[in-house]
Amino acid sequence: MELYLESGYTSLNKAGEELCGDRVKVADDGEYTTLVLADGLGSGVKANILSTLTSTILCTMVSGGVSIEECVDTIIQTLPVCKERGVAYATFTVIHVNREGKGYMFEFDNPEAIYITNGKCRDFERVPHKYEGKTVYITELDLKPNDYIVTMSDGVIHAGIGMILNFGWLRKDVIEYLDKSVKPYMSAGAVACLLASACNDLYLDKPGDDTTVAAVRIREAVHVNIMVGPPVDKTKDDFYIARFLEGDSKKIVCGGTSSTIVARYLGTQVKADFDFPDKDVPPIGHIDGIDLTTEGVLTLRKLVELSEKYLSHSDLTPKSFVGKRDGASMLAEMLFEEATHVKFFVGQSINAAHQGLPIDITMKLKLVDTISDHLRRAGKQVEVYYD
Amino acid sequence: MVKVTVCIGSSCHLKGSRQVVEELQYIVKRKNLGEDVELSGAFCMGKCAEKGVSVTVNGKYYAVDPAAVEEFFDDVIVKAING
Repeated sequence: MELYLESGYTSLNKAGEELCGDRVKVADDGEYTTLVLADGLGSGVKANILSTLTSTILCTMVSGGVSIEECVDTIIQTLPVCKERGVAYATFTVIHVNREGKGYMFEFDNPEAIYITNGKCRDFERVPHKYEGKTVYITELDLKPNDYIVTMSDGVIHAGIGMILNFGWLRKDVIEYLDKSVKPYMSAGAVACLLASACNDLYLDKPGDDTTVAAVRIREAVHVNIMVGPPVDKTKDDFYIARFLEGDSKKIVCGGTSSTIVARYLGTQVKADFDFPDKDVPPIGHIDGIDLTTEGVLTLRKLVELSEKYLSHSDLTPKSFVGKRDGASMLAEMLFEEATHVKFFVGQSINAAHQGLPIDITMKLKLVDTISDHLRRAGKQVEVYYD
Repeated sequence: MVKVTVCIGSSCHLKGSRQVVEELQYIVKRKNLGEDVELSGAFCMGKCAEKGVSVTVNGKYYAVDPAAVEEFFDDVIVKAING
């Protein structure tokens, strides 16, 4: 089984603050992924500087293979001392794990990370170590496919304190919520967003502290091929379609003409749906043997809108699109949530009747460009072929 | 049974195919003609240059103005039912 590692996070700023005092840094060298969540003392500018320094130093050092002791030592010696409080301080969690799920995690003063395995929350077996008088908890990681690590800043367990809850949201409540709400199809980013969004609700939309949730998941790789538009050379339709259909990846066809030629190649017909779950998005179609068939440019344009929200680390719109039935949301679910590897097959044939309308070829190529860029930012391996 | 197919491709979508679809569905329901008319959708019919939304009635092509769906229904579809 080919495995893949994904990560994602969502941050809420303390109400009224422009900067977040929590910071997440991720580095990926193709084998190991290193994720650091640092929470700086206080809030605003000072906290932001502390957490930026801490996360950047730790992420660079850990991904470079430096020992935990040396990393912690460097942090202690580097952080500027706060004049008011007389301490230099940022709490942190560092996760360093490869695609087989092996690696380690070390935590300093952040709320304990939660381990989700077989759909249930567990505690990690943490071993305390003393460095320079500070206790750092180290966990050896051995994750199975579909295991998540959920780490958070203290804004999460303080959510609602003094507002709608007397003592905030305790760790056991967070666990109860995750046990109930996390679905096996959700990506790491979707889980982080879900929990942050619940915190925002408890804070009545005005977080009393910077609140950040970051998650990592090991998962099976899913390859998706997507065809957008018919190739320029009509006589080679069959060649291009055969190449698109190769392998056991999931298949998506975008566009009227493309669907027609793919259906013809497969010896079947496109059946078009007739309802509009979203008024801006034309109905989807169905071709036997193809996983998803949609209209072209208008659907892709909507997908760009959805993916901008998906990529945002502060937007609380749910990242999972399961249950939505319009073409753009179904594309978003397959490409951004399900896929780990995406191959675009972009035909550059020009539909003369489309030129001059907002659905012409330049628009289509621009959209493919933007979407592939968004997918890369979401951590996917993307290839684009122009025919 | 009269088979009416409306194009829902990009170009026709911009010209108002959703309006045509919804209006046809509404008229069929109002006139209680569900037994006589079968509505369906189709991807691009290759007539993007026509002025109007592409619709076929029993295979015959029409370009329909979204503002005149009722007239189109009476002129073409009702005639097809009776003919």
